[in-house]
Amino acid sequence: MIRYVIQRLLIMIPTLIAISAIVFILIQLPPGDYLDSYIAELQSQGEKVDPKKIKFLREQYGFDKPLIEQYFVWAIGMLQGDFGYSFEYGLPVTDVVGDRVFLTFLVSVTTIAFAWIVSFPIGVYSATHQYSWGDYGLTFLGFLGLATPNFLLALVLLYFANVVFGTSIGGLMDPEYIDQPWSFDKVLSVLEHLWIPVVVIGTAGTAEMIRRVRANLLDELQKQYVITARAKGLAPTKVILKYPLRVALNFFVSDVGSLLPGVISGSAIVSVVLSLPTTGPMLLESLRSQDMYLAGSFLMLLATLTVIGVLISDLALAALDPRIRLEGGITR
Amino acid sequence: MASCDSRRRSASGFALRALLTFSSIAAVFTYANLASAAKPQMVETPFLAPAVERGELPPVSDRIPDVPSIVRFDQPGRSAGKPGGDLETLMAKPKDVRLMTVYGYARLVAYDEDFNLVPDLLERFEIKEGRIFTLHLRPGHKWSDGAPFTAEDFRYFWEDMSLNEALAPFGPPKPLLVDGERPKFEVIDETTVRFSWSQPNTAFLPALAGAAPLWIYRPSHYLKQFHAAYADPKTLKAMVKETRQRNWAGLHHRRDRQYRFDNPVLPTLQPWYNTTDLPAERFIFVRNPFYHRIDENGHQLPYVDRVIIKIADAKIIPAKTGASETDLQARYIRFDHFTFLKRAEKRHNFDVRLWRTIKGAQVALYPNLNNRDPVWREVLRDVRFRRALSLAIDRHEINQVIYYGLAREGNNSVLEESPLFRPEYRNGWASFDLEKANQLLDEMGLTERDDRGVRLLPDGRPMELIIDTAGESTEETDVLELISDSWLKAGVKLYSRPSQREVFRNRVYAGESLLSIWSGLSNAVPNADTSPAEFAPTEQDQLQWSKFGKYYQTSGQSGVKPDIQGVVDLATLHDAWRHTNDTEERARIWHEILKLHSEQIFTIGVVNGVQRPVVVNNELKNVPEVGVYNWDPGAAFGVYKPDTFWFTEARRKRDQSQ
Repeated sequence: MIRYVIQRLLIMIPTLIAISAIVFILIQLPPGDYLDSYIAELQSQGEKVDPKKIKFLREQYGFDKPLIEQYFVWAIGMLQGDFGYSFEYGLPVTDVVGDRVFLTFLVSVTTIAFAWIVSFPIGVYSATHQYSWGDYGLTFLGFLGLATPNFLLALVLLYFANVVFGTSIGGLMDPEYIDQPWSFDKVLSVLEHLWIPVVVIGTAGTAEMIRRVRANLLDELQKQYVITARAKGLAPTKVILKYPLRVALNFFVSDVGSLLPGVISGSAIVSVVLSLPTTGPMLLESLRSQDMYLAGSFLMLLATLTVIGVLISDLALAALDPRIRLEGGITR
Repeated sequence: MASCDSRRRSASGFALRALLTFSSIAAVFTYANLASAAKPQMVETPFLAPAVERGELPPVSDRIPDVPSIVRFDQPGRSAGKPGGDLETLMAKPKDVRLMTVYGYARLVAYDEDFNLVPDLLERFEIKEGRIFTLHLRPGHKWSDGAPFTAEDFRYFWEDMSLNEALAPFGPPKPLLVDGERPKFEVIDETTVRFSWSQPNTAFLPALAGAAPLWIYRPSHYLKQFHAAYADPKTLKAMVKETRQRNWAGLHHRRDRQYRFDNPVLPTLQPWYNTTDLPAERFIFVRNPFYHRIDENGHQLPYVDRVIIKIADAKIIPAKTGASETDLQARYIRFDHFTFLKRAEKRHNFDVRLWRTIKGAQVALYPNLNNRDPVWREVLRDVRFRRALSLAIDRHEINQVIYYGLAREGNNSVLEESPLFRPEYRNGWASFDLEKANQLLDEMGLTERDDRGVRLLPDGRPMELIIDTAGESTEETDVLELISDSWLKAGVKLYSRPSQREVFRNRVYAGESLLSIWSGLSNAVPNADTSPAEFAPTEQDQLQWSKFGKYYQTSGQSGVKPDIQGVVDLATLHDAWRHTNDTEERARIWHEILKLHSEQIFTIGVVNGVQRPVVVNNELKNVPEVGVYNWDPGAAFGVYKPDTFWFTEARRKRDQSQ
């Protein structure tokens, strides 16, 4: 087991190196650099920039160096915990991202909890009452949630929250609490705003989750051990919860791999529409303005989390289900 | 010696008034604010009173300059107010805080509401022969940190910054050069400096008064710590390392971004200074205790204590505006939000106003004369083709369908409000006449058509015109959709190609784009003394002749030398304008330029005069009912002096209790 973990950890090194190279190339692919997009933005507002000064700035930002050199400066810096410098904010990347991670985490965890709490009972119900009116009705609702574009739902909810409850539009708290220390009122304000992104981001995930719980559970319900348990007179709830549901959970654990980066990246589009102070919009903006070190470090963080997440889910699966073996080895 | 009253009303509405009119070569003109004579008894600002009591700040009478700028409220609908209150506004990105430099609009020389240039930070200035500029500072004027603002701050900029090889390898800023000649800079005394050239410099004062102005002074007491000539080498080196800059010049640049307003420690002369470090979602600007303007009742301006900028995504700013989450908003809301905002007005305590814009065209098409495709280039350079395209646009339909009939149809030329306006400039080749358009294209020999009815180019390719758009608003694509219908009737097939702004620009620069769509002239209300640079090839970002523009911008080092008679003429005319001081001669040149433009159709304007919604909270006073919303000249709200906007008592109390 320990050997396996070490092996996996070692494989992560070349994987991450490859990812960092790909990330860097992808960010460099669009024509131009940060200064180009900055100039374009200024010009669209009618502002002018002296071309001679641009040349000077380009040197200051290090854009005159060859790409390979830029890559190594960045990659070696990362190993030392230096993620580079955000041109847009004029600050080290860690300072820029730091503030947002907590709120992103809050939104994501709440959303995931919401999706689980809603989808589990529904999934179980749908599976045990297959092809009943209840199953059809709930499935319909679930698909409705999946089919409604998130951003549209977000806009509609924003409007109603504002008109009916007077909640300020967008953001995660009333503006006067932004950048203020935490207080009881601030928490209340956050709660008041939090439900919209949670419901919006949650609905799509919920539908997906319901279907998966239902499908996995249906597979198990047909199996003989369930029939045996029933025949032995075990209470129906206990039968389902204790055996088939546990097995049906496997898919769930293997999802952790994709869950971990999701928690940090947030749902970018919804966050942009709702103007949430999370990391999603920041990632999007940094890609658009070609703020390459910010975008690159972000993507690297996500990649690292994915790699770690996959490892964790593999280990957890093994712990949960004795039938799964990690090492190929000889089956005795 | 003549003097001029800066508050004179303009006869021609908001036309830009003559500024540097030199009737005789020897005359010296002094521009001073005569109203400054009687200084009222000063009243301490409540917001700053506690700090004064604690002894952290001197009392108000010691904070203002010896000769403050006294604002009078003689326009209808304006009045003196009381200080207090927090003004909230929305911006889309943290770097938008630079707009506080624009809204604050404290300039050495500034435009007033009639677009005359008047001294602002300066007490007065004198101009001799259009080439010797003597600037008189206000004695006792201080930076926002209380340090004196003196001639040393100008000297530091000129000698230690613009002439420093490391800081400015690119040399002094362009408006300070006349045909490449650097100014002679003199410090006359503690509060007087002089810039002189051997020839008239027409760009100098407008640049000082710009929305993103030319900064010819710096807070030298603060910046010297980052300058190799003054700082202790060891400390400086440590600072450079700590901030991850390449060298001290980089560090100096970072600390010295007057315009960006992102360094809370950088002293400023603007009405409000930034107190919030990046990154943030909410920026708080606090009143500058040493600001130079006061009102006639002895209140130091600005009236508003704090300006709070909230960052929200650009797409939800209209919705937030409709929910009354801003006190003053024009940025990020557009004409197409007007109906929504008007409906929200009933539910909330705000007022939606429509301000005028002074762009030559809301949308204009730019045929690229530097296109790389030799066949297309010949076609685009044929004036008959450009005229035909213009004639085949149904401007009336576009106005009715997209702008509710509220815009004005016509060429991308000067507007009626300009003294240079003549109807033929706007109407030349701008009527809707398909027959004439077809006739012109036939004359060119483009008579072959394919089975769709699309004409064929001389080499047999179908005439499929791809128009590049920056693809940001649906407005442009909507307009193109309508143009596409009528152009097809003239045998020209239109496709639009949206791309990102920087890609868009680079395609035009490289000559890959055939035609592009963008807004028209940025100042379409010039007078004879306004520079016609926008009309002549002068810069690379002129989409119709990017490479010709680059040729003049780089003084012939790169770009393409114009080989089209019309463009060469424009360049010659622009040169002639720059080298004369005579207003009548300048007017004559202007008319020649405008005539050439309306005949040559270098750009194809569609509609102009589209208004701009401005949302103002009802508790906020002194914001004009009708104004001009423009970038430069205008500085958005800047010319209307946001430091004179004030809140009602109810609102001031509310903000105070929070």
